[in-house]
Amino acid sequence: MTANPTENDLRVIAEQVWSSYLDVDGSKPLLPVPAAKVVVDVTGSVSVTGAWRGHVLVGCSDGASRNAAAALLGIELDEVTDDDVADALGELANIIGGNVKSLLPEPCALSLPHVHVEGEAGRYPASTEVCKLNGTWLEESVTVSVLESTADFAEASAT
Amino acid sequence: MTPVLTMVIDDSRAMRLILKRIVAQLGFDVVESANGKEAMDYLAGILEAGDDSKLPGLALVDWNMPEMNGLEFVTAVRADQRLRNMTLMMVTTESEQSQIVRALASGAHEYVIKPFTPDAIIDKLTLLGLVPNGVAV
Amino acid sequence: MSLTAQEFAFISGLVRRDAAIVLETGKEYLVEARLLPLARALGVPTVSEFVNYAQRKPEPETHRRIVDALTTNETSFFRDGEPFNQLVTMVLPDLVARRAANRTLKVWSAACSSGQEPYTLAIVLQDALPAGWSFDIIATDISSEMLERAEAGQYSQLEVNRGLPATLLVRHFERTGASWKVSPALRKAVTFKRLNLAAPLPAMGPFDIVFIRNVLIYFDVQTKRSVLQRVASTLRPDGWLFLGSAETTIGIDDRFERVVAGRTSAYRLRSAPKTVPANAVGKG
Repeated sequence: MTANPTENDLRVIAEQVWSSYLDVDGSKPLLPVPAAKVVVDVTGSVSVTGAWRGHVLVGCSDGASRNAAAALLGIELDEVTDDDVADALGELANIIGGNVKSLLPEPCALSLPHVHVEGEAGRYPASTEVCKLNGTWLEESVTVSVLESTADFAEASAT
Repeated sequence: MTPVLTMVIDDSRAMRLILKRIVAQLGFDVVESANGKEAMDYLAGILEAGDDSKLPGLALVDWNMPEMNGLEFVTAVRADQRLRNMTLMMVTTESEQSQIVRALASGAHEYVIKPFTPDAIIDKLTLLGLVPNGVAV
Repeated sequence: MSLTAQEFAFISGLVRRDAAIVLETGKEYLVEARLLPLARALGVPTVSEFVNYAQRKPEPETHRRIVDALTTNETSFFRDGEPFNQLVTMVLPDLVARRAANRTLKVWSAACSSGQEPYTLAIVLQDALPAGWSFDIIATDISSEMLERAEAGQYSQLEVNRGLPATLLVRHFERTGASWKVSPALRKAVTFKRLNLAAPLPAMGPFDIVFIRNVLIYFDVQTKRSVLQRVASTLRPDGWLFLGSAETTIGIDDRFERVVAGRTSAYRLRSAPKTVPANAVGKG
C-alpha cells in the first residue's frame, strides 16, 4: 500500500473502535462531523517509525475524554480521575494508531502512547497533516489525525 | 465447566480491565501483569513452589510491551516443557498478515486483533475448547 | 424523521415474536442506527419510511433483515461452530466413502447473506477433503445487495475476528487495506446466484450437502413445508441437510429424519441408506 491513509480510513477505524468499546449497543455512535466547538483538551498519541515516520493523534474535549475513560474502564463518570483519562486516551491512541499502521508501508513500529493534557498545537512542528477526522461524540469534540514527519527533521522528531 | 486461571498481560491498565471483565464473566480467575517479564517472573515463582495446579491455563497477551514483549513471552513459554498446558492467545493491535503468521509460528494458539468485541474473545475461547458450547453474554 | 411510537412498537413486536428479544422504549436510537443501512439499501431516506414500507408490504425477507440487524447474533464465519465440526468428523467421511468413484461434492448454501457461510464451507472442504477431490458451492440469497457483498468476499477486521481461527485467517484471506479478502482460490469455489426460496426453484443440484440455516424460522408453516419439499428434491438420496441450531424439520416435513451430530443435529431423507458412524451414537 503506497497511498497515504485517508479521512475515510480514519472513519472506518474509529467506527470499529467505538462499536467495540465505547458504543457497544449502537446508541451513542461517533458521528463523523465536526462538533459545534472543535476543542482539544487532551491528546493521546503514538509515533510510527520505520518505513514510514509520523504520529497518530487522538484529541478529545475534556467531556469526551472523561466519557471515554468511563466507558473503557467500566466506571461511573463521576469516578473518573486524571489517571483514568490518561490510561483511556493512551489505549485509544494505541489501538487507532495500530490500525493506521497496518495501512502504511511495512515494516513499521509503534511507540508506546503518550498523553498530553493540553492541545496538540505546536507539539509536532516537523510534520505535515496527512488526514484528519473531526468527530462528534455525545455532543463533544473528538479528532483523529495522522501526521507525517518531514524528511529533514526525521531524526529530531523521533523520540 | 472448569474455571481457568487466566493471565492478562498488557501494559495498558484500560485493556487489562476490559479483558478481565470479559473473562470474569466466564467465571475465570484473573492474574494481571503489565509486561512479559512480570508475567514470566510470576510463572517462575509458581514453578519454583512446585504446585503445578496453580499454573494458569490461559494467557491473553499483548504484543507491544516494555521489558519483554508478547512475542518474546510466547516464545519463552513454548520453550518450557513445564508450561506446555498453557493456552496462549495474543490480543494486539499488530494486524499485518506477516505479524499474525509470526505469532502463530512462535507458538501462539490464537490471535485477536484490537479492537475486538467481547464476543470475539469468547468465540475464540470456545474454539480453543475452554468454554463449552459458548456462553450467552 | 424519528420513529413514531407506533413504528417502534411494530419493530419491537416483530423482534419479540421472531427472536424472543425485548426492545424497551428508550432503544429508539438503537433501532434507528441499526436499520439505517437497510433503509439506504432500499433507497429510502429515513428509517421511519423504511418501517412504514415493511408494514405495508410484509415480506419474510424484509422481516428477516430487520430482525438480523437488531439481534446481536449476526451472521459470522463458522456460525455456531458445531455444524462445521460435524461436517468434518461425520459427514465428510461418510460422503468420501460413497463418492469414491467421482471424488467431487456439490454443496448449496441457501440464504447465504453476506457470504460468511459459503466461504466457511469452502474453507472446511478445502482443508478436510483428501487430495484429488474437488467441490463446488452454490450460494444463494434473495437480496442482490447481499450477493454483491458476498461476491466481493471482503470483510472488516471486526468480522474476521469472529469465529475464524487465526490459522485459517492467514491461510485463506489476504489483507487489503484495513479489510481482509477471501483468497482467489476460495472465491473460485463459490458461485453466487439470486434465488427466492419461497418460489419454485430453477434446476439445481443434486446436492450432497445443503445448509439452510436461520431462514426457515421467518416463514409460516405452509411456506416452510414447500421450501423443505423443494430442498428435498435437490438433495441426493443420501445427502445431508443442516438447519439452524433452533430449527427442526420435525412436525413440518416427515420426508426427513434427524441424525444426532455431536451437540447438534443433521437431517437426511428417510429413504437414505443407514450409516450411523460410531461417534453419533449415544450422544444427547
